[in-house]
Amino acid sequence: MGIRWQHIALWIAFIVVMLALPEFVSKGTLRTIIFANFLAIFAISWDVLSGRTGYISFGHPFLIGIGAYTSAILSYRFGFPVAASIPLAVVATMIGGTLFFLPALRIRGSYFALVTLAFMELMYQLVQVIRPDLTGGTRGMSGIETITRGAVNNYYLSFSLMVIIALAMWLVMKTRLGTALSAIGMNEESVRGSGLDTTKLKLAAFMIAAFIAGLGGAFYVHYLGSIAPRALFDINFLFTIIVAALIGGASTIIGPMIGAFFLTFLLEYLRPVLPGAERYFIYGGIALILYMYQPKGIYEVAKQGWGRLRAVRAGAGP
Amino acid sequence: MSQIIIQGLLLSGLYALIAVGFTLIFSIGRVLNLAYGAYLMIGGYVYYHFTQVLGLPQIAGILMAAIFGCVIGILKYRLIVKTLKGDHVAVEISTLILAVVIQAGIVLVFNDSSKILHPIVPGVWRIGGATVTFNILTAALASWAILIGLYLFVRNTHIGRAMQAVSMDVKGAAISGVDPDRINLITWGISGALGAVAGVFFASYTQLSPSMWVAPLIIAVAVVIVGGIGSIIGSLIVAHIIGFMEIISTTLIAAELRGVFTMLLIIGVLVMRPRGLFGREEL
Amino acid sequence: MSGILRSAAAAGALLFAVQAAQAEVKVGFIGSLSSDTGLSTLRGAELAIEELNAAGGVLGGQQIKLIKADTGEDVTEGIKAYEYLAETEEVDFIVSGSIDDVSLGWLPRMVEYQIPTLDTWTSYIGIIDKLVEDYDSYKPYFMNIASDEALATLYIDFGKDVLADKMGWKSVVILQEDTAFGNAINGLVSEALAPNAGIDVVDTIVYDIATVDFAPLFSRAVDSGADFIYLISSVNSQVVSSQYVKLQVPMGMTGVNVAALGQEYWEDTGGAGGGISTLSPVPSVGFALDPKSQEFVDKYVAKYGDSRPKFPHFNGFNAYHGLKQAFAAAEEAGGFNNSTWVDAMEKQDLVLEKDGQMWLRYGFWGRDEVEPRTGRTYPHNARFDITDPYDDGSPSMVVIQWYEDGTAAVVYPEKYATGEFQVPSWVKK
Repeated sequence: MGIRWQHIALWIAFIVVMLALPEFVSKGTLRTIIFANFLAIFAISWDVLSGRTGYISFGHPFLIGIGAYTSAILSYRFGFPVAASIPLAVVATMIGGTLFFLPALRIRGSYFALVTLAFMELMYQLVQVIRPDLTGGTRGMSGIETITRGAVNNYYLSFSLMVIIALAMWLVMKTRLGTALSAIGMNEESVRGSGLDTTKLKLAAFMIAAFIAGLGGAFYVHYLGSIAPRALFDINFLFTIIVAALIGGASTIIGPMIGAFFLTFLLEYLRPVLPGAERYFIYGGIALILYMYQPKGIYEVAKQGWGRLRAVRAGAGP
Repeated sequence: MSQIIIQGLLLSGLYALIAVGFTLIFSIGRVLNLAYGAYLMIGGYVYYHFTQVLGLPQIAGILMAAIFGCVIGILKYRLIVKTLKGDHVAVEISTLILAVVIQAGIVLVFNDSSKILHPIVPGVWRIGGATVTFNILTAALASWAILIGLYLFVRNTHIGRAMQAVSMDVKGAAISGVDPDRINLITWGISGALGAVAGVFFASYTQLSPSMWVAPLIIAVAVVIVGGIGSIIGSLIVAHIIGFMEIISTTLIAAELRGVFTMLLIIGVLVMRPRGLFGREEL
Repeated sequence: MSGILRSAAAAGALLFAVQAAQAEVKVGFIGSLSSDTGLSTLRGAELAIEELNAAGGVLGGQQIKLIKADTGEDVTEGIKAYEYLAETEEVDFIVSGSIDDVSLGWLPRMVEYQIPTLDTWTSYIGIIDKLVEDYDSYKPYFMNIASDEALATLYIDFGKDVLADKMGWKSVVILQEDTAFGNAINGLVSEALAPNAGIDVVDTIVYDIATVDFAPLFSRAVDSGADFIYLISSVNSQVVSSQYVKLQVPMGMTGVNVAALGQEYWEDTGGAGGGISTLSPVPSVGFALDPKSQEFVDKYVAKYGDSRPKFPHFNGFNAYHGLKQAFAAAEEAGGFNNSTWVDAMEKQDLVLEKDGQMWLRYGFWGRDEVEPRTGRTYPHNARFDITDPYDDGSPSMVVIQWYEDGTAAVVYPEKYATGEFQVPSWVKK
């Protein structure tokens, strides 16, 4: 699949619009977009691993958490500058990613999903039990150094990070590596049959996913300024990441981005209308119905709609 | 020592009951029902509502819980599993979403403070150094009765044998005149009812709270993974391994590491023996 | 889909139009809208606002508008909620009913926005420590509940006066949940209990908060041969207390049990909670109220008596009085948006008397004021008194007990006692 000029034009248009956005929208909206940007990063990371290769990860918060906790502990407890703690956090996450990778050598499908879920639960319990003087135990840590302050600065920071990751992934997926990964998702046996080393390919996917998760997690914790086990190693967090990737459209780059923005804005726009617990109920309900309606996601719905529109136009034309 | 054995047996009985409904779906539909924990939660809350709020007798409460669980199981099969045509990943993800939605629904109806159920059978019994509540004794006995009943049902009835057939080979079963759709529907209903009843006992042991679905789901997952797909006996044995491991770790090692051992067991077994300790045998 | 978004946007626009029409002061509430904890704070704040508005408004006749931001007791949602209040709603003041990790989660946002914020539920000393370390960044923060350390200190007195002297207990086994709270309280209790009260800690059992079955733990406690159990439980507390009752554990148990703090405890445990005692912030259940607080309770019950929580928890009182104090400070300082408010808030002092003696006091420790008994400062923490006769502030805590008939009473300190400390009927003396 080659790179077409329309795609590049769309990317440029998207970036220009997003960079100009702070001029037009409120700070509150920017704050919402910041969360959407981070969610998009996590969803892209999940998609590289699971959306492409079909190794469904239920433990993505495990990777993100390693990145976030490593950077938080290094900077908060040991006074590392952020410029050093973030790269170290990414390295730590990639080591965690290898740990994740081991079971994938032997199992796939539902079993793989479960073992990753077990990883996440294990991490949740260990963080509280082992060295609470470092991790802050159940309460976590607060007052972690932030990279920058204010809605606008953080917006530019998170958007740049997100768009760089998205663009890089888009380019990577255009290479033969991307094609091969998608092929694994469809039929691993036949990929192996065609002489490719699937283990190496899978390792590549896991390392890329861990890299993004670690990077995203580290920047995330330095945006939030606080960290708690309940906020990270949590089924609700996992739910949001997976649903963002799937509802937007797995195996695409734009899909997880759409999904992340959709979910974050949906939850935030429900706030003034339904302040209480109803909000989560409606939010989850909409996600469920949308996913049931089209498991391939919003991207697919839009594509089909566009195709139909074109067909109608073509039919109506002279 | 005797105390560890008694407490281990009782807790394991409860765990076996929790896991069996999950095993059933996994072996017949090959689907992980991540909303399984929600059956337990719904069962517990339904029981609470009927007995402790409306004041119905306890047996009626358990019956209502079973009916609710069964109906929800059937609805889940009809509305989700069938709609997605059994696509495993899609079913797993949608059941996960469903579980989160049900959790929000419970908060909405019952608010998020936790509640305690009256013991189903009050009273205690002291043997050796151990104290046993009649409540947990009932739970363990009920668990055994239900498991034996289920085993006999699967072995000896027409429907049960059809379930076995579907579990082994869907197409083969269809050719030999079994309607896999109907069998699946029945299985989902039974699984829902079992889950809800297990929920009543689980809740009477611990508490009702909107996040209570996660812990039993993890127990069920652990039992199924470690036991291996589709083996009621395997599930039973592993429920005891996990139950005893928990009692031993809390009594003798370190109570705060209770959950850690279970997770390590899951990861270890999955990496070493992906098919579980008891492999795949007939149902 | 777009329908919902559109109507949401329209609702937002409408809200905006209404807001622009009149001058008003905005108060934000942050907390869970579906927990007793969150709702107590919210309702306490609502009643205070109602009274202030009815009395002609604040800051030159402006009306107060309350904006709710739900956290669902989720840490990340808490951060989003704080951002929403600060940047979308641009509130002037925030009252919080957050639990520990949620407060810690949004705390960096408070530092960034410098919005005056009053916490009414969390008692985590770590937050007060942040004020000690970096006063300038954290100074808009006030906590009008006595912090953990003050709670534990007074508890040691209870150990000496009641557990050791009256009950004749000499040894304890500590049953502690594995949380930061559990570790902190255990540290304070085990270091001070033996030297001050003459009670030996014979064993410490730390348990996982998701523990299903407490039978083996209680067996271990009984085997230790101690005279009583000291329980430290802030999460899933109902489980441990109801299993204590269901198992009829043959030894006394007291300590910290967060579930037993509210009036709903009896209903939630279905009656399986008799015999449990716990320390509680004031005003607790079973607390004899002064006339002013009673007035608040009457109003509360008249307005909210049909839905949970039917009776305000201690943080409801804190929110009610604290919000009024925040506005009194704002009147003095000419608004919320300058550091003069902090100075004015530090000086707020409300003394509530009962039968001519100091009963409760809502005020704050000054920045450099050293509390004599613990020998440290508590900037912006509720002004408590941990020395008999408690005439300089509210006691940091009382010990309450739920009896087997479903009534509850304060059993310590003597001045506030409405009942006697007892062991459950199944425990042989």
